[in-house]
Order: sequence, then C-alpha cells, then structure tokens
Amino acid sequence: MKAISIALKDLQILFKDRGTIFQLFVLPLLFIVVFSGALTAIGQGNQEDVILPNLAVVDQDGGEGAAFLLNKISQDGSLAVQSTSAADVQSLLDENKVVASLTIPAGFTAGIQQNTPVTLVITTGKNANPQIVEAARLVVESIAADMTLESQIIASLKQMGEMQATAPEEYQIFSTERVLAQARSQFIAAQARPLINIVQSAPQQGAAEEEAPDLSLAAVPGFTVLFVFLAGQTTARSIFEEKKIGSFRRLVAAPINKAQLLIGKILPNFVIALIQIGVIFAFGAFGLRLMGLTPLPIEKAPLGAALIAILIALCSSALGIAIAALAKTENQIGGLSTLLLWGMGLLGGCFVPLFILERFLGPIPMIVPHYWANRALDDLFIRGLGLTDIYLSLVMLLVFSLIFFAIGLWRFDFD
Amino acid sequence: MPAILEVENLVKKYGDFEAVKGISFSVEEGEVFGLLGPNGAGKTQTISMLTGVISPTSGTARIGGYDILKQTSQVKKINGLVPQDLALYPTLSARANLNFFGRIYGLGGRELKERVDDVLRVVSLTERADGVVDKFSGGMKRRVNIAAGLVHQPRLLFLDEPTEGVDPQSRNHIFESVQRLNRERGMSVVYTSHYMEEVETLCNRAAIIDAGRIIALDTIKNLIGLLGGGVVYVGVNQVDETILAELSSLPAVKESALVPQPPAPPAPDGKESTTDVKPPAVNPVIKIVAENNQQAVVNVLGYLNQHDIVITSLEIMQPNLESVFLHLTGKKLRE
Repeated sequence: MKAISIALKDLQILFKDRGTIFQLFVLPLLFIVVFSGALTAIGQGNQEDVILPNLAVVDQDGGEGAAFLLNKISQDGSLAVQSTSAADVQSLLDENKVVASLTIPAGFTAGIQQNTPVTLVITTGKNANPQIVEAARLVVESIAADMTLESQIIASLKQMGEMQATAPEEYQIFSTERVLAQARSQFIAAQARPLINIVQSAPQQGAAEEEAPDLSLAAVPGFTVLFVFLAGQTTARSIFEEKKIGSFRRLVAAPINKAQLLIGKILPNFVIALIQIGVIFAFGAFGLRLMGLTPLPIEKAPLGAALIAILIALCSSALGIAIAALAKTENQIGGLSTLLLWGMGLLGGCFVPLFILERFLGPIPMIVPHYWANRALDDLFIRGLGLTDIYLSLVMLLVFSLIFFAIGLWRFDFD
Repeated sequence: MPAILEVENLVKKYGDFEAVKGISFSVEEGEVFGLLGPNGAGKTQTISMLTGVISPTSGTARIGGYDILKQTSQVKKINGLVPQDLALYPTLSARANLNFFGRIYGLGGRELKERVDDVLRVVSLTERADGVVDKFSGGMKRRVNIAAGLVHQPRLLFLDEPTEGVDPQSRNHIFESVQRLNRERGMSVVYTSHYMEEVETLCNRAAIIDAGRIIALDTIKNLIGLLGGGVVYVGVNQVDETILAELSSLPAVKESALVPQPPAPPAPDGKESTTDVKPPAVNPVIKIVAENNQQAVVNVLGYLNQHDIVITSLEIMQPNLESVFLHLTGKKLRE
C-alpha cells in the first residue's frame, strides 16, 4: 500500500511535467510517422521501377522441351530468366542475385517426348523472400502442368491416329464421343500423375526465418522499444531528484522497508511504459491507417502483444533502477542514459530493421535487451509468428530484467 | 520524567574520517533539547542515525524504549523528522505533500484528512493549503516542511536547522509552532541549530557539539553559567606571564589567558558589544573570563593604565551560548 502511495505520488508529479509527457507520448509518435512515411516512400519507389525477380536456370538438357519451358517462363513475364552454369548457381543464390534456381535435368526433352516422368529442381536462395520464391515456383509449376497435359494429349492422339490408320477404311473405331472421353481421361491423368515433377530443395521453415519485413512496419516496433526503454531513465531521475531535495531521506526515515520503497519507485515507470506501449500500438494500428500508411496488425495477436508489452515495461523499469544505482550525479544519469539507452537502441535494431542490422553485425545485437524486444515484436506483427515461436525472445527479456534488478539492488545507495 | 531518547556512545565513520565520535546524551519525555554546534560539527549525522536514515558505525540508542538498531519499525513510528533541506515535492500542493507523507505513515481516510487539517493549523497555512509549494515563500515552505514531519503525530520530533534561510517573521512562526507542540501536546523535540539565540529561546537543555564530540551538556542556564559574568578580550601592545598572572588575581576576574588572534567582530544582531577600535592582527589579545563583566573591565583597564600598557582593542562579550562556545572551542558558532 505504501509502495502504491509512492507510485501514485510519482505519477501525479510526472503528469504535471509537460516536457516529460511530450517525450514519453508525443515524440515516439512523431518519430514513427516520419520513419513510416519515409520507409513507405522507399518501398513505393522500388515498386515503380518494377524489377523482375531473377530466376537462374541451369539447362542440363539443352533440348527442344527445355527451350519450350524457358520460352514459356519468359513469356509469363513474372520472372527474368538468367541462364547460368551449375558451378555458378550457388554463388548467385548466396549473393541474393537470384531468388531461386531452376535445374532442367539432362533427358528432360526425351522424357516428355517418350511420356516418361522427369523432375525439375528449384533451389531457393538463403536470403530470398519466400513469397517471391513461392510465386516463382507457381509459375514453373503452372507451365510444367500445361506441358504435361499437352504432351500426354498429343501422345494419345498420335496413338489413336496410328490405330485408326491400321483399321479397315469402312470401320471407324474412334467416334467423336470416344475422342472426347480419351482427352478427358488424359487431362485427369495429367493432374494425378504429372509428367513433370517439381522438387524444391530449400526448406520453407528456414526461409521464413529470414523473411525481410515490410520496411514501413519496422518503425513501430523499433521506436516503441526505443522510447519505452528511454522512459527507464525517468525512474533514475526521480530517485536522484528525491535525494537532491531531501525527500528520500524523509522516506527512509519513515516506517517503510527498502523493498516497498524501491517497488514504489519502479511502479510508475512500469505503468507509464505500459501506457506508452498502448498509445504507440493504438496509433500504429489506427493512426497510421488514417494517414494512409501501413497499419500495425495488432488485431492478429493481442495476447502476444500484451505479454511482450509487460516484459518490455518490466525490463525498462529494471534498467531504470540499475541506472539509478550506478549513477551518483545528475550528469552521470544523463551520460549513462545516453550511452546505454540510445546506444543499446541503436545496436538493438530500433533505428535499423533487424534483418538489415544482422547482415553486418551478425549476432552482436543479441547482447542488448532492445534486440530481443524488437525481435519479439517483429516476429509477432511482421512475420505473423505465434507465441510459441517467440518464447526465446520473451525469456531473454525476463533474463535481462532479472540482471538489471540484481545490479540495482546490489549497488543501490539508500543513505 | 522518563527518557524518551537515550543515546549511547554513537559513532559514525566514513573510512578514516570520524564524523561522530562517541556521542552520549538523553532527552526526557516532553523536553525540548538543543544540539548546538557549527556547520559540520556532526549534528545532522547524529540525527540521521537516530532517525534510521544512516546506520551508526558503533554505539546505539533507545527511543521510547526501543533499540534503534533492532526495533527499527517501532522507532520510526515514534520519530518525526524535519530535515534541513526542504524535503517537499515542489509541483504538488501543500495538502498533497502532507497527504502523501501521512499515507507513508499508514494514515488514510478521515483520520488522514483530520491530521492534515490539524498540522496546517499548527503551522498557520490552512488558507494556503491548496497552493503549489513551488509558489510559496521560503518561510512558508519551511512551515510546510515542519508540518510534513508532524502529520503522523510523532512523540519525538527531530528538527534539523528548521529556520535555515527564513525571514524573522517566519522564524517566529516556527518558534511558536514548536513551543505550542511542546506545551499543548507534550511533544519531545530535538532541535539542532547553529543559532545560539534559537536554542536559548526554545530549549530546556542543550548539548554543545563540535568536531563530532559533545563538549558541554547542561541546562541553558548552567551552560551560560560556565562563563560566570562574561568574557572580555583586550588587545595590548605587550604582554608576558607576569602580567597575565597579575590580571588573573584582580577582583571580579576568574582567569586570564593569551589568545593567538582576536575574535572577529560579532554580528550586528548578536548580544555582544564591541568598541569601534579594530585590533591589528599582530597585537596580542588577552582573554579575561570575568565573574562580573563591568567590574572586571574597570579593574583590568586600571591595571593596564598603571603599567603603561597600550590598549589596542577592547571587546566585551556578555554571557551567552555564543560566548560559551567561543570559550570552549576558541571559534565562533558561525565560522
């Protein structure tokens, strides 16, 4: 109860401070609007250029059938065909220069002509967007299905022609009905037993983890995490202010234990952080939509969003106590806050989307809680993963919270 | 009267520095006890230990019969602390501040409201209760500061330099509040100050503290009585042991001694008197402890005149705590 009294008093003081209110609730929204708008514009700029995804083709057949297939893929207009050798294809995939490679095996043409099954192999790139890979696979599959049908109907008609040729002139063994029935039968057989099989070599699951998120959406989680952690310094400043004016001495002299005192000082930041996340998420879901920008799909995972919000708020509050314990002067609080909160925000993917950051920093961002908070939000909102898929990020946020609390309790000066 | 506070050999060290060097004293129930000493003497450190803000390095104390180290929560309920700093939340109103400090002591509902209204009356701030503290004058802030220490009705109130930086009118208000609390409610008070007038006015007894030690402890009357009739400082052009011995044997003179430097001119609002002659720093100064200031001055000046000793300065200090402190430590309270 006494802890709640301290928390309510701190909230009362905080809500009287317009500068802090602006920093906590308005500034994040301004950042989000500017960055979402800019990133959307970048995305639209890319769309105007209409660069077709490249499909590397290793033609080991070199026959009429392979040429027909490649011609059809080019005519489809969805993919840019890039012929290459088997030796070069891996580097093209690794460097993300092609979304996938199509290997046409030797004997492809002969197989089609002899109506024996053949197999095409599609290999996906490590960093390829799975949606584009899927589109490429559908294009190849569709053309292959047409070729199967065409080949089998032609073969069937040829066979019927030969049979007709050997029959007596006055005896017509194929009526119109029998020809149509034969065509239908071939059509069904083409679907059930495709002449051209397609095998995709890269697992879908691995590809999904590397999915590049929608850039315009990346701003909301990034700045949510940045500003919620920045709010952690409010705890440190509030404790320093209490010590400066002498009220902390009065609190220590009162019949209130140290745990209640610390909880009372942490609680306002926790509440503020939750309100902050609520405001930012609501703005991300509704405000961005009204502004014609990509909205945050919060309706897809409200429970997950609430759980992540609680853990981020907890971690931010714990970090605030750690800063209060480590910093002895107002300047030190400012310095530590700048170094820790902005530095960790930068390293943890608050300004640069994680999938880009990880390409040049590797696993380094994992050392800051911001990374796990961003990853949890990205996975939930952008990649559409479930709670079970993000458990590691949640556990890591909890671990960081415990570490910060431990530092805070260990180094906190009550005198 | 039973003792509400018994301090036993309290010590506070910071590394090699000893801020409080084994202080012992007691305060009776219903007493206003003064801790008089210059800044840095160890008064605030002593209060901080007694109120549980800091832990003593050694020694202990009992408040209301409870040990301050072992029965902290009971002790904290008895204590009220008015810190030297304005320990208030400036953007909140006086009432909001008092409500908060009341809740910290477990008060709530109607009881809290009544207590807050009561302490606002005690410090004469009822009409400004809803004003924001930041907009108050220094004196009004000091009064809210005192009210915050009273809201839970402590049995023992620690007032740490409560009049620091306030105007005379507010100082009188504070004096009246403390006297009323003591007289009407029997509240015991430990009052620290480096203003001897305050301690003389408010306290029954006082301890004079310097460099972490109590150097004198008694009733105000007895403390002042240490000096008898007062002290006279006489600057002369020459002095030796014979002159000092003969001065000591003069009627109305208790003792005489050579001081290295004359004391600085006293503050205009003090009870001391002085001549217009400022002693040059090079001249020796004789300190005369008198049984009767007036007779001693006549006898000393007569002796010096007879022996052709030139008087370069003359300072007569009436007997008060300031002169007692000067007598005991060789320095002024506000140095």
